[in-house]
Amino acid sequence: MKNALALILIAAASVSCNREAPADTRNSKPTVALVLKTLNHPFFVDMRRGAQEAADRLGVNLQVQAAEREIDVEKQMQIVENLIQTGIQALAITPSGSREIVSALVKARDAKVPIIVVDTRVDEKAAADAGVHTETFVGSDNYEGGKLAGDYLLKVSGGKARVGILEGIPGHETGDSRLRGFRDAVKATPGVSIVASQPANWERDQGFNVFQNMLQAHPDIDSVFACSDLMALGAIEAIAAAGRTGKIRVIGFDALDDAKKAIGEGSMAASVAQFPSEMGRVAVESAVKVIRGETVPAQIKVRLELVTKENLQ
Amino acid sequence: MTAATDTPVLEMRGVRKTFPGVVALDGVDLTLHAGDVHMLLGENGAGKSTLMKILSGAYRKDDGDIRIDGRPVAIDSPRDALALGIRIIYQELNLIPHLSVAENIFLGELPSHRLGLVDWRGLYDRASRLMADLGLDAASIDPRTPVGRLGMAQRQMVEIARALRSSDARILVMDEPTSSLTSREVTQLFLLIERLTARGVSIVYITHRLDEVFRIGKRVTVLRDGRHITTRRLSEVDVPELVRLMANRDLSEQFPKVRTARGRELLRVEHVSRGTALSDVSLSVHAGEVVGVAGLVGAGRTELARVIAGADRCEHGRLIVDGRDVRLRAPADAIAHGIGLLPEDRKAEGLVPGLTVARNVALPHGRRLARLGVLPRRCEVALAGPIAEELRVKATATQPVRLLSGGNQQKVVLGKWLAGDVRLFIFDEPTRGIDVGAKVEIYNLMNRLTARGAGILMISSELPELLGMSDRILVMHRGRIQAEFDAADATEERVLTAALGLAPALDRTE
Amino acid sequence: MKNARQFGTLIGLAVLCAILWILTPYFLTVSNLLNVAEQTSINAIVAVGMTFVILSGGIDLSVGSIVALSGVVLGASLKSDQPMLVGVIVASLVGLACGLGNGALVSWGGLPPFIVTLGTMSIARGAALLFTEGRPVSGFDAGFRALATGRAGFIPAPVIVMLLVYLAAHFVLSRTTFGRYVYAIGGNEEATRLSGVAIRFHKTMIYGVSGLMSAVAAIILTARLNSAQPIAGMMYELDAIAATVIGGTSLMGGEGSLGGTLVGALIMGVLRNGLNLLGVSSFLQQIVIGGVIVVAVLLDTILKRRNRSI
Repeated sequence: MKNALALILIAAASVSCNREAPADTRNSKPTVALVLKTLNHPFFVDMRRGAQEAADRLGVNLQVQAAEREIDVEKQMQIVENLIQTGIQALAITPSGSREIVSALVKARDAKVPIIVVDTRVDEKAAADAGVHTETFVGSDNYEGGKLAGDYLLKVSGGKARVGILEGIPGHETGDSRLRGFRDAVKATPGVSIVASQPANWERDQGFNVFQNMLQAHPDIDSVFACSDLMALGAIEAIAAAGRTGKIRVIGFDALDDAKKAIGEGSMAASVAQFPSEMGRVAVESAVKVIRGETVPAQIKVRLELVTKENLQ
Repeated sequence: MTAATDTPVLEMRGVRKTFPGVVALDGVDLTLHAGDVHMLLGENGAGKSTLMKILSGAYRKDDGDIRIDGRPVAIDSPRDALALGIRIIYQELNLIPHLSVAENIFLGELPSHRLGLVDWRGLYDRASRLMADLGLDAASIDPRTPVGRLGMAQRQMVEIARALRSSDARILVMDEPTSSLTSREVTQLFLLIERLTARGVSIVYITHRLDEVFRIGKRVTVLRDGRHITTRRLSEVDVPELVRLMANRDLSEQFPKVRTARGRELLRVEHVSRGTALSDVSLSVHAGEVVGVAGLVGAGRTELARVIAGADRCEHGRLIVDGRDVRLRAPADAIAHGIGLLPEDRKAEGLVPGLTVARNVALPHGRRLARLGVLPRRCEVALAGPIAEELRVKATATQPVRLLSGGNQQKVVLGKWLAGDVRLFIFDEPTRGIDVGAKVEIYNLMNRLTARGAGILMISSELPELLGMSDRILVMHRGRIQAEFDAADATEERVLTAALGLAPALDRTE
Repeated sequence: MKNARQFGTLIGLAVLCAILWILTPYFLTVSNLLNVAEQTSINAIVAVGMTFVILSGGIDLSVGSIVALSGVVLGASLKSDQPMLVGVIVASLVGLACGLGNGALVSWGGLPPFIVTLGTMSIARGAALLFTEGRPVSGFDAGFRALATGRAGFIPAPVIVMLLVYLAAHFVLSRTTFGRYVYAIGGNEEATRLSGVAIRFHKTMIYGVSGLMSAVAAIILTARLNSAQPIAGMMYELDAIAATVIGGTSLMGGEGSLGGTLVGALIMGVLRNGLNLLGVSSFLQQIVIGGVIVVAVLLDTILKRRNRSI
């Protein structure tokens, strides 16, 4: 019996603090769910901010949930399944697994909840096979972004460089696209060679370790492209530890505040800026449109910009 | 010579202590005079350790009083004892092998600098000075040496230094201090003891080595069965008398021995050795007979039992069961050959506490009962039920054994073997911790077993039990068979003498 | 083998459900409850293996990594156009082999289970990553995915598999000599040895069971995610241990039951589901679940101390 009492106390205590307003279909405010990969990342925190502002403006309830780590697809699936139970009117999601999430989306379809995909695409073939239809995709064109980074490298290196690449989580469409864009941009130039390319799973400490090892294996690396800023920042610290700050060009992706600071200090060369808060805003706006029965375009591109020391504000 | 009318430094009067089902001490007296070495003698279980544990605060007495220097004191915890200047050195030394001699001596009160760092130099100095002060050979023991590297005698010295590290130690209890020492080391220890008593430390000295008693002792107290038998000056007794005092008892306990005709040889052990525990042990057990094995703690009896039961391997020698040479690599082998062991510690080795009576009884028989690995419904209860009834186990078959009394638990252990095809039983202290009524039941069971043609090897520390229930008695001493008696020829004194190693070793060429 | 302790766990689950029913109308619906059962099934299956191991007095930290390794082997097999059955068998054998490896090191090597399975945890994970070069293997045919998406009546397939596994395991644990030995070894290994039981053989087998259960869980997980990830199964060991301990199995070994483990797994599943439904942040969820585990073990220890009569 003590077991039960303890559970009661714990459950009650945890519930009474830090609760977001639960979905409530009894009054007329519709509820939109925003399921992110994680909340541990400034990118998604920005996205949530933009989404919340839009939600407040449009008069909808916004339910934001995420797993602790970006790689935890299973957790994200469980969250989707559970939120569907609470009668949400629309689901906006940044999938942690482009193919794996389809199984959860099937349940959304069955519950007649429209799906808005944000930032990372769902695998088209898997979705088609499962008969899942998504309303729209809101995100940057990651391929274009990768290309922007590649073109920039060609420019500043004068066509000669030995590059190491830090990839995201393999199988994530965002990372794969950025990678492809970058490689396509530089492949025509023989002077630029990619000597190493390894995943660091979007995480900063892994970026540090992986790049440190890369430097050991290829001491002649003079440039690094990281598919995300967190990994780039990790690489920057690895460069500092090797005593080669300023001698290796670092190009990141996301233009986080920390990255902008690094660009200002000169330890980072450039970063491709995304506008996650815009993504969040557009996602919520599209969700509301869909709820109202309006049509939305199949994809909405959110702008990208290359941030360098010159155009830093 | 101090005046004889000085108040004794320690007086224990009428001390009583009972544990559930057992009276450990029944009104025991002990008087210790200043500067004396007072010998405390008695067999296993006589109550010596219990009495000393009460003195050192590890146990609380139920009745009686203790006076120090004539003043009544209460000793409710080890701290109280320490505060009164009482120090005890146990047989198993309490030293920490990885720490240095000095750290061990001053454990708990290491000297420190102001910042809380250990004052190593001060520590080693103090240790050296203490040891020199005590007359310990400071030159040969470097206070920085880790204790683990010292020999037994030196460790003993360290333990003594530890006990005497503060100048207020007045009463020192030493429990079998020479059990691991060579004779030269013993002499050194005795010199130290003389120096200590000259300084006013009074010593209670527990030992089984009767020769030592006369070398350094002044007075002796003999305990038997928790009772105080006598206290005498050592100048007034001799060894045979001491032995008689230790062993003699009124045989009020019943031993319903039923003799059975001796049948074929079930087990022969030939020249078995195992490390230092067993040396060249040979014996045999026949159907229908009970062979008792006597000896003091450390004589090697349990080790012998474990070798025969397959729990440990013998390094040299042969085991012959039913006329066939056997290799016992695991208990399962012994069981397959019809050997069943009732271990000394039935809780730790005989039973699985969380399982029911039935499941414990059936545990060795799983293979036999099961069909393709599956146990038919209630097969264990069906197996154990009749046995539990026959043994008069006071519990239902589905009760967990941890709730049973000692006697009933022992019956369950026995039941394990009765359920199978065991012909040779090894009983290691079968009635330890069991009340008198249950003991008789166990003896009757033994009779039934032998009547059915089983053979029993019974290890016991209770001489009356051995004498009462055995057909033959073997006495072990330091890993060897020291003596063998037929039941008719055995007396307590003879057995005890052999157990103490005082009888001439047997020349057993058979 | 329900005793008061495990009955208490069941009551705990009921109370938890009651509280959630009061706090949110979405909890006690058929579809949500089936949801919970489905989400719980994977951990529940892994917990079966963990229960066997803990009952015998050991521990297995490598279950999550074995899930990953079995999963990727399964994925590779399915992708190479082998029949589903072949993939399932091969994955099961991989899990079994890892478990037997653990068991052999513990039994014959005499190494502490904590250390051995900690090592295997790393080795199996590395093997999974190596095998797939870090990339997940995805996209399997509908026949295989039916293991997760299929239903019998309205009961999801993973729940059915979970129930079947529990029934089979319960049978083994309560009606076979093997099951008896699991309890006996955990209750008093030396006494069991002296009773003639081949301890080393059985301990090895017990860890093999744990590995096998991890493989079964991997099969369901792979079908559910439609993907075999080398990074799958992280922290599964904690969830499995939690379910086992909350369910009344003692970490010392020798006491406990599968029924209790199932309830323990459900408690955790319900807790997670409920916290999601209530919109509690996922960071707080971690804290709550950890708290429940600590409380459960604390209660277990206190009750054990009171019950000591041996």
